Amino acid sequence: MTGDGGSDGRGVWGCAPARLGELLDLVDEAVVICDRVDGPVRGFNRAAARLFPGLRPGSPVSMSSAAPLARAAARRAERFHAVHGGRRLRGRLHTAGGPAVWLVHQVSGAQEAEAALFEERDRSAFLEETTRRLGASLHHGRSARALVEMVIPRLADASVVVLPASGRRTRWHRAGPGDARSAGEVAVETLERVPKVSDALYGLQPRPAVIRPRELAALDDVMPGEFVRGEEALVVQLGAGGVPAGALIMLRGPERARLEAADIELAHRFAERAGLALATAALYSQQAHTMAVLQAGLAPEPLPAVDGLRLGAAYRPAAEALRISGDYYHVAPCPAGGVTFFFGDVSGKGAEAAVLAGHVRQSMRTLAMVRRGPDPLGDLQLLNDLVISAGHRFTTLVTGSARPRGDGSVKVEIASGGHLFPLTLRGDGRVEEIVCEGMLVGAVPDPSFGRTEFRLEPGELMLLYSDGLTEARGGVSGREIYGDERLVDALASCVGMQAPSVAERLELLTTEWLAGRPHDDISLLTLQAPPRRGSPPHRRSESPESPKSPEGPGGSASAGEPGSP
Amino acid sequence: MNANGITDAVRADFDACLADADEGGALELAVGLVASGVSAEDVLLGLVAPAQVRVGERWASGEWTVAREHAATHVSRLTVDAAAAAAPVSGGSPGQVLVACGDGEWHVLPSHILAEVLRLRGFQVRSLGGSVSPGELLSCVHQTGPDVVALSCTLTFNLPHAHRQIETCRCAGVPVMAGGPGFGPEGTWAYALGADLYAADARDAAEALLRRWPPVRCGRSSVQAAAVEEYAVLVRRRPELLAHLAYVLRDVFPGLRARSDSPSSTDSPGTSGSSDTSVREHEEGTDFLGRLLDSLAAAVFVDDDRVFTGQLAFATAYFSARSVEPRCLVTMTDALADRLHGSPRTLDTLAAGRRSLVTRETDSRRPE
Repeated sequence: MTGDGGSDGRGVWGCAPARLGELLDLVDEAVVICDRVDGPVRGFNRAAARLFPGLRPGSPVSMSSAAPLARAAARRAERFHAVHGGRRLRGRLHTAGGPAVWLVHQVSGAQEAEAALFEERDRSAFLEETTRRLGASLHHGRSARALVEMVIPRLADASVVVLPASGRRTRWHRAGPGDARSAGEVAVETLERVPKVSDALYGLQPRPAVIRPRELAALDDVMPGEFVRGEEALVVQLGAGGVPAGALIMLRGPERARLEAADIELAHRFAERAGLALATAALYSQQAHTMAVLQAGLAPEPLPAVDGLRLGAAYRPAAEALRISGDYYHVAPCPAGGVTFFFGDVSGKGAEAAVLAGHVRQSMRTLAMVRRGPDPLGDLQLLNDLVISAGHRFTTLVTGSARPRGDGSVKVEIASGGHLFPLTLRGDGRVEEIVCEGMLVGAVPDPSFGRTEFRLEPGELMLLYSDGLTEARGGVSGREIYGDERLVDALASCVGMQAPSVAERLELLTTEWLAGRPHDDISLLTLQAPPRRGSPPHRRSESPESPKSPEGPGGSASAGEPGSP
Repeated sequence: MNANGITDAVRADFDACLADADEGGALELAVGLVASGVSAEDVLLGLVAPAQVRVGERWASGEWTVAREHAATHVSRLTVDAAAAAAPVSGGSPGQVLVACGDGEWHVLPSHILAEVLRLRGFQVRSLGGSVSPGELLSCVHQTGPDVVALSCTLTFNLPHAHRQIETCRCAGVPVMAGGPGFGPEGTWAYALGADLYAADARDAAEALLRRWPPVRCGRSSVQAAAVEEYAVLVRRRPELLAHLAYVLRDVFPGLRARSDSPSSTDSPGTSGSSDTSVREHEEGTDFLGRLLDSLAAAVFVDDDRVFTGQLAFATAYFSARSVEPRCLVTMTDALADRLHGSPRTLDTLAAGRRSLVTRETDSRRPE
């Protein structure tokens, strides 16, 4: 707010309007008042008389009386720069609500240079913002939306981007006027009826082209309604080198000054940057889509819901951003009740390990389909040959089945190829290893594999895990491994919890141990015999010498959910 | 409070189901409510969410073990799924929302409730679950191009992590809606970290999004460079400060004695079976101190003492419930101040923390 003006920044006039003319004569700026832009001159001040001696009240501005004003009026421009009678002039037209008022002042060379500098700085800032905003987005649709929004209001009042065609129709995004946003598809055939647009789309129009609204008539559905009879539009090609990325159409409303050479130049520089960003995003989106399809094929499937069993799992690949891993597991319901499952860990990590993990997963599932009855040892032998033939990697693998019994317990059979021994959490909080020796799968021809079976009483749980969990490096020093003992302790503290929350808690503890450090693939699978209804699951065995020690610092080990969202 | 058919008796029944980890009972109750005409949103926000607050309180007060609290939380989560699945989804899809927890944030239920409430209101929702790294978030943003990311934070010491998530989204040009008690009263710290919107709960979030769609980027981080520098000092010196605290507090703080008396045992932790328990207790003790240190760092980061004093208040209650003398917290702030002379902002925060402890102590003694 200004201090000494009116409260809203307007001037305050207490003197009589009769003396206004005299007062205007004191002003350095030339003031010329006409009825309309092309109408008769009503008055002008002393400065105007000095600049344009030919001005006469009653007749319109003309090339002979005030050439710069006449030229600007013909172009319908609201601002002009001109050299007139050896002076550099800068003028602007004020028309809102009444007569047309020209305000013209003489600029010195230094002022001129300064103004040019400011304008250039303004353009640079706009282009820098373009690069920053578009450079950050790799999502194609979002980049296209950002692009059409960005040219408003700097270059246009509304804009449309048409994306390269991938078939007979192609997508477009539009922004403006104002907050209006829309998107849709248009037939390529329709686009081709507007040669300047299709040229830009096919990369055949290196410079921005001015286009008349009439020429855009074929694109009625794509253009904003208010602008159909508007001013000239600008069509700009977007692309990265030889790769076309789209065509940008920029429109200005009737209120707006017409496109000047500087605007067209700026639009061109904008398009170079925006085209590069859009082309990159298009490429990334295609690759991301391919990647997502492959990822979905490699990621573990959701666990089935099975009567008489509870299942839980956690999966944290080393490449967290990619969600692919050399760890794999699968649980399938059996028609006769219970489940078959397998769990393994391919040596190494990243895409190469994930591909072999995918092979093993598919092969195991195929074996399950062709087998008459379960033969886990036979499966492991067949897989051994397959993994050897696939290359130099090998895998650990536990395969088995779990069948609920009439008494609520679950009978588990496993066969192991070199995997970490499963752990069981017994009802009293003891953690036991299920010893099942076996050699790695795919390391040597004709290896030996172990087989064993055991029972889970109601509430008891089996844990399968990959070594990424126990070998996680972290802690206070950041270098200590998580280790078997911490895992055993953590598991022992999970008595009374359901299989999924046990999996999540172990994942939580390891992740906190890591505290953001890089890690190997981590996955785990829990399988539990549901507790008997009515048995209190939470009898805490208080150890006599340790009176309640802090166990969940501020919720670090807790998931107490005090609110939402 | 028995509006919407959720009577006190219903609440008590549901609390009992959580206490017994009785998922069958809980699901039957919640689905029954939805079938009788109660909206799923009311079940999630009026029944499950408050019950879960009580679960957290029962853990904090020492009444429940971590295991029991997790078992109850799991039942709550299944209830959310079942109640939401039993309800019709409103038509129309105003847009795509990506729901995520901050890095290090494991309180998944609030974000789970949010995801379901938004889905029921017709949004397309993708949910990333607990503790999402900035890399994972960025990759998902680029792949799916959501209109807005909804970020949940329950614990204040995760605020610096939340800031990284918000910056990640800002750079990718996606607006962020923040929610959860971690963002402070009225979302103060959400705005300080540059979030574009804040919602107190899932219903608020849905309504804010529906009111003005699509959301726009307008937030601006007010985190100061000087604050980040001091935060960095605390992060870098964390191991050393923790070791110092463990030593200073060895006689008063539970579980710390075992190891700090014999520092040479660091090389071979837990080789002798008998010391295993004390080693774990020691780790739990340092973990707890680590959280206090993290909340000090977070307070410095967002330049608000309340982040630290709030955590101290929690620690005081937590200790009192476990018959540990809360006075050791004053010793802790003094020990830290001793080591952090070069960090004026940190010293101010520690002083504020100390004042809050002393005031609380005198307040609690006065009435008797």
